[in-house]
Amino acid sequence: MSDHADSAPSTAAGGPRPIRHTNAAPLIRLEGVSKHYGDLVAVDGVDLSVHPGQVLAVIGPSGSGKSTLLRCINYLERPESGRITVGDIRLDAGTPPSRAELSVLRRRVGMVFQSFNLFPHLTVLQNVSLAQRRVLGRNREDAERRSADLLATVGLADKAHQYPSRCSGGQQQRIAIARALALEPSVMLFDEPTSSLDPELGLEVLTVMRDLAKAGMTMIIVTHEMHFAEDVSNEVVVMANGRIVEHGPSRELMRNPKQERTRRFLSAVLNR
Amino acid sequence: MWSYPAFLVSGLPWTLSVTAGAFAIGALIGLPVMLAEESTFAPLRLIARTYVNLVRAVPPIVWLFIVYFGVGSDLLRLTPFGAAVIGLGLISSAHLAEIYRGGMISVGKGQREAASALNLGPVYGFIDVMAPQAVRVALPPSAGYAIGLLKDSAISSAIGVPELTERANEAAQATLTGLPVYVALAAIYILMSVPVAWLARAVDTRLRAKVAR
Repeated sequence: MSDHADSAPSTAAGGPRPIRHTNAAPLIRLEGVSKHYGDLVAVDGVDLSVHPGQVLAVIGPSGSGKSTLLRCINYLERPESGRITVGDIRLDAGTPPSRAELSVLRRRVGMVFQSFNLFPHLTVLQNVSLAQRRVLGRNREDAERRSADLLATVGLADKAHQYPSRCSGGQQQRIAIARALALEPSVMLFDEPTSSLDPELGLEVLTVMRDLAKAGMTMIIVTHEMHFAEDVSNEVVVMANGRIVEHGPSRELMRNPKQERTRRFLSAVLNR
Repeated sequence: MWSYPAFLVSGLPWTLSVTAGAFAIGALIGLPVMLAEESTFAPLRLIARTYVNLVRAVPPIVWLFIVYFGVGSDLLRLTPFGAAVIGLGLISSAHLAEIYRGGMISVGKGQREAASALNLGPVYGFIDVMAPQAVRVALPPSAGYAIGLLKDSAISSAIGVPELTERANEAAQATLTGLPVYVALAAIYILMSVPVAWLARAVDTRLRAKVAR
């Protein structure tokens, strides 16, 4: 079990926001989670806890299992072994989850993809409204009002009646964030949300994510943006070969990594 | 003397009815066949794939003989028209299931994952996300198939449906002049195919313009 969530974060001025819920039970707990693809071990017995309000960045080289781990949390990938707890729902990898369990899990967990995956045949407003109507059972008017609010929060109120193809990549990703938030999840997963964007467009997405973190959203972010990881997250997990090699408060880990593997990764990324 | 052009044209409603009826059956049954082919339940998948392969492995005219002379005379009372619609309908269902499947595959994994992550579930995931996008891809080949079916409906002349080709055969025998009759027949098929192709292209262009990807 990881107990890093309870360790004191850096409190230097301008540093990452301190974790406020040090005594709260973890919102997400992964125990011995593994995922294989044939002979390839993508995720290898990962233990991890995330507390409410915490922002966790997952970094590491390509193919280290970061995305797979993230996708196991909402069962887009079904792990072969281990246990995943989100709030009061607990799924054992050994038994296939029922539709009802999967539904509860996915209502709690919002997800943002690297490639946005907006629905191209629906307008921006319909993209954000669809799940509210189908999953939350809201009527059209309520759903659209809420969607308009969410679009305003991500700065895209004027795009409501456009199709996604008419929006830039950065705008599409902000719409995808609004779409995931529409189900009022208790945690948001971000799978390399800025990797397919040029730096300028990536920045507008990171700004929205920073606001979300400030508002207290629990977030797990797989990212290659080291500065963002250091700035916004309060903890960082470093993965390599499907395992967690280091886990600690962001600033401390980024500046004084304890593991050789972390040092190697950080120097490779930062000296590019 | 009787005028063969009018006689020939009297087969037109039959040709159109056989085509429309068979296409409607195929479009309807093709959907569950495609869903079964994509099912996670292996026995269902096996049954659906066997059905599709079996239907496509036998010449359409043989199916019509099986339906009309086999099933029709022994088990059910079927008119030639009924047998043609059912036989060509089942054949269409196998081909349209494959066309639908191609449409579904074209939609891409990301869309399916987004629907799952949003907890839409398999039913709404299909209705709201997959199907509308798959239809756009499946539409042109479906229209192409409808044109093919219009031409293939000619084989229902073999079981005595009084459609265009059957009428042409009769007219040719009665007038003892094959060439003008069959050229007229060919012209009628061409005149019917062109508007369908044109309509399909117009609808396709409209859908594409709406969502330029």
